[in-house]
Amino acid sequence: MRIVVAKNILKANDQLAAANRARFETAGVYAVNVVGSPGCGKTTLLEAVFRRLAGRLRPAVIEGDIAGSIDAERIEALGIPVVQINTDGACHLDAMMIASAVGELDLGAVDLLAIENVGNLVCTAGFDLGEHLRLVLLGVTEGDDKVVKYPAIFQGSDALVLTKTDLVAHTNFRVERIAADLRRLAPKAPVFQVSALGGEGIAPLVEWLLAKLPRTGG
Amino acid sequence: MHELSIAEALIEQVQRELHRAGQQGPVKCLELTVGRLSGVHSPSLRFAFDLISPGTVVEGAKLEIAEAAAVCQCRGCGARQTIEDLVAACPQCGSPEITIAEGRDLLLRGIELEESA
Repeated sequence: MRIVVAKNILKANDQLAAANRARFETAGVYAVNVVGSPGCGKTTLLEAVFRRLAGRLRPAVIEGDIAGSIDAERIEALGIPVVQINTDGACHLDAMMIASAVGELDLGAVDLLAIENVGNLVCTAGFDLGEHLRLVLLGVTEGDDKVVKYPAIFQGSDALVLTKTDLVAHTNFRVERIAADLRRLAPKAPVFQVSALGGEGIAPLVEWLLAKLPRTGG
Repeated sequence: MHELSIAEALIEQVQRELHRAGQQGPVKCLELTVGRLSGVHSPSLRFAFDLISPGTVVEGAKLEIAEAAAVCQCRGCGARQTIEDLVAACPQCGSPEITIAEGRDLLLRGIELEESA
């Protein structure tokens, strides 16, 4: 006997993501999915952005890691509400994990929800979390061939943030090359160059982000 | 291990379908179609499936996996064509107004049950 099914197994995540997005919108929360390799500087960028934002809106963070809560502790030290998700080995966050983590937050007291994904340029590309915006980070020490090598994550992102640009002189990284490759895959995505530890380049990124938020921008 | 969570979702879907059809199994074969751009790697999916299927209704079931091409649909020139990799513009006219119409799915097409005596 054969049962005819014809169901998309990956759709389940998309439906949950849509539900998350609707929940965020009802609560007036703007959600940003932050993706990039391990060590590209996702948490450091968030720290710099939050310092810059101080007082202008109310952020919260969901931290996704395979293990531990090191990143969540760093965010907590800034006095920002944070929920840690441990994926127990899974290489990406999915919409279901976000749905349960959101229950830990008081969404009414949040304007901007940053979701720091598991460090991974591959698997994170396939899972909509219900975010409004996806930022992909790339450290200049990772090499300027990454847009070509990992097209899916870059194509689906709304902006590229090049991190650690203070080190660029010590590498063979060509900003023009990465920008040209990105234009082919994601013609509308801007490129921001930051050095989050020193705070360089954070201001334009924050202004761009604020302009995206319905409450503070257009 | 991305395919592990996908294998879990697949088995849950099979359980729902069997319940709906009033069947208990055992399941002989699952018919799947993996889209070219679905991000699902078939050998890894088989590996994950074999790892977690024991003890479930799909224990011992075979995976029959077909591949589906990716298709790009252009809103500019109307062309609908097969693509090998992700593209940002219509390969025909260069317009960026495209959608990936097919090839992102992992489809469970059918469930074949063992003939019960």
